[in-house]
Amino acid sequence: MTAVQAPTRPVRPYRSGTPERAVTSLVVRQVHRGALSAIVLAVGVSALVPATHASVVSSPAQAQSLAALANNPAIRTLFGEPGDLGDPGSFTVWRTGVFLSVLLGAWCLLATTRITRGEEEAGRTDLLLAGLLTPERLLARQLAVLLTAAAATGLAVTVALSAVGTDFPGAAVHGVGLALIGMFFIATAALAAQVFPTRSAATGSAAAVLAAGLMLRMVGEGVDTLGWVRWLTPFGLGALTRPYDTNRWLPLLVLAVTTVAVITAAAAASSRDIRSGWLVPPAGRDPNMALLGSVPAFAARRTIRPLLGWATGIAAYYLLVGLIAASMISFLSDNPDFAAMAGQAGFGGLDAVEGYAATLFALVAMPVSGFATARITALFADESSGRLTLLFSGPRTRSGVAGAETASAATGAVLLLAVAGLAAWAGTAISGADLGLTGALGGAMNLVPVVALGLGASVLALGVAPRAISWFGALPTIGGFLLLVIADSVDAPAWVSSLSPYAHIARVPMESPQWGAVAIMMSIAVLACAGGLAGYSRRDLRL
Amino acid sequence: MSMPAVRTEHLTKRFGRLRAVDRLDLSVESGEVFGFLGPNGAGKSTTIRLLLGLARATAGSAEIFGIPAADIRAAHEKLAYVPADVALWPRLTGAEILELLARTGPGVDHAYQSDLVEQLDLDLRKRAGTYSTGNRQKVALVAAFATRAPLLILDEPTSGLDPLMERVFRTAVLEARRRGQTVFLSSHQLAEVEAVCDRVAILRSGRLADIATVTDLRRLYRTEVEIGYTGPPPDLSTVSGIDDVEPVGPGRLRLALTGPPAPVLRALAAAEVTTLAVREPSLEEIFLAYYGEANR
Repeated sequence: MTAVQAPTRPVRPYRSGTPERAVTSLVVRQVHRGALSAIVLAVGVSALVPATHASVVSSPAQAQSLAALANNPAIRTLFGEPGDLGDPGSFTVWRTGVFLSVLLGAWCLLATTRITRGEEEAGRTDLLLAGLLTPERLLARQLAVLLTAAAATGLAVTVALSAVGTDFPGAAVHGVGLALIGMFFIATAALAAQVFPTRSAATGSAAAVLAAGLMLRMVGEGVDTLGWVRWLTPFGLGALTRPYDTNRWLPLLVLAVTTVAVITAAAAASSRDIRSGWLVPPAGRDPNMALLGSVPAFAARRTIRPLLGWATGIAAYYLLVGLIAASMISFLSDNPDFAAMAGQAGFGGLDAVEGYAATLFALVAMPVSGFATARITALFADESSGRLTLLFSGPRTRSGVAGAETASAATGAVLLLAVAGLAAWAGTAISGADLGLTGALGGAMNLVPVVALGLGASVLALGVAPRAISWFGALPTIGGFLLLVIADSVDAPAWVSSLSPYAHIARVPMESPQWGAVAIMMSIAVLACAGGLAGYSRRDLRL
Repeated sequence: MSMPAVRTEHLTKRFGRLRAVDRLDLSVESGEVFGFLGPNGAGKSTTIRLLLGLARATAGSAEIFGIPAADIRAAHEKLAYVPADVALWPRLTGAEILELLARTGPGVDHAYQSDLVEQLDLDLRKRAGTYSTGNRQKVALVAAFATRAPLLILDEPTSGLDPLMERVFRTAVLEARRRGQTVFLSSHQLAEVEAVCDRVAILRSGRLADIATVTDLRRLYRTEVEIGYTGPPPDLSTVSGIDDVEPVGPGRLRLALTGPPAPVLRALAAAEVTTLAVREPSLEEIFLAYYGEANR
């Protein structure tokens, strides 16, 4: 063109705030929903349980039998060493401490690897680091937000416990303990995210630390001579503070120093190539052509590795359940009052190994259904990331691909139930409580219909609402369990609790299975799967 | 006449109020290399997803060799696909992914597969997680070409390839045509489309803007003519089909011509023309003209 160009003036690009502030708000957006859920749950549980204390411990006799129960080694293994259970604060810590610390630790760990290694693996970190930010500052901001979330949860618990009238020093020790446990797992996950180049490996190794820490605490609580091992695990250190009792701060100091050391290690390890790690597997290897020949085979291939992880966890837990069985049963037969009380509350037969096993097998439906839901979630992740596109461009229907994944998840779930049964059998055999192999396997397999409902709900969600697979999948198992617990504690009408699948599960091996209910639940599950697969072949792929 | 490889009738896809594909009528003959062009967001990838049954049409129909696209099992026996954005399972190696796709696809020519791997210089021992964009694309290209499927649907298959590899790709497309395979090629590499495609469709805002052979497209578009002359300038005021007449120097004129050149040649015959240069528009210029119209 011939137009005369005016001399150009340098343009000053617009910039608002510092890059650090921008990253902080990004990280807040990435974690705020989960953090708020964790806070609401922690506050809710901490505020509600003290209120139930008066009704649970309404007479000295009740207080005595509760104390006897709590001091039984088996119960101590699961809930920890009790303080003065006559105190509402102490009672709340005993009832909710392990649950809340594991929950908070798990959330902190998952959120940390998700926003650090997960974002890096997906390539989004490259975009951020192309700007003015250094990797060290990015990590610092991510950690700052996460640590604040953990601190806020602990603070909220302290405030809630004080607000409902428990002693402040105990509330403070408990709140700080929870916060520090969360912070320790943020640090651990951040370190794992520097070491391993994939999110799954980082999450897996940090989760292994969590599981080992929990197991170590259980050993420390259950075996008197090994009480010292609690100093080696964050959960044990949290327990050693004995909130509302001795309120010790030394274990918290140890935990805080350890956490700072791990964070320092993570920060030091963060000077590395982006998208790489300290433990990178060799890029090349010989092909392993097993289980690549068909879509069902490939579904099995992708299921094996996660299945082994879940199986290890479930086996460890049910082995422990079996190992403490004899102690529990002898306790209950020595305390007939308590056994009668448990019987009134719907937990009859706990003084026989069959009843004990039936009660504890009911819990296995939650992790096993969680495994099945995770497999369907993984299928959707493969779809939305485009990995399935190449398979879908082959000569096969979409419901065939999803059906193969469903079948592989169902097979894995049944195997996990079998693992739970075998582990419980092995544990009881070692401890001398005589739960037969058939009884153990039967008790575990009795949960097949509940797990099937969880899988069915997940597959239905895959077809109609794939972003909500986890919620759908959790509804029959975790939702059903909570419904039953809440309905029982507020004396809801019978039809409310009958909505829960658990209401229709016989206490196998103490009773024989309710085949009618099994048939109905299995039919609902099959219908949900069929509906989900039909929806899946009809909807557009989400890419 | 043989069955068209791809046929769509009034094919429509709506996302809420957005019409991503709007009453598209398309017919790709068996054995031709068909270019599918359009600016970003024109609906090319959506059309391909409808052809593959990955998304369901709101209205209209699509057929692959006469088989409804919704009959996925039968239709996909006839085709292979390379997506624009190739995602692979990060833990599997290249060899394992090719094995998976070969054994779950419509068949494979192993010898040709090895040839392609060698020509594209693809390291199959590596895990897919370590592959670059171009290498992931190579895996999908090898898998698709090695099927020998009668229809290859390629969605921007060379966006990550270097020029050397792109030449391998062009050779593979031409060989596919020699074997009688049909190639449906969506691409932004206009030189590539110009080099390999028999016919081209241009999509704009979900609608078909034009469909023709590359030669015909040129004819429809403005040819640039530059003439040198001595004496008085030729009188072009009455000639139809020309515009932008501008002198580019003493005794030199440049003009843009649309349509047949006969009238302008007759007018020039009266003048003392010393040089005559005719430059046909490149596909890129044709394409930019379509873009431009959209902005006007």
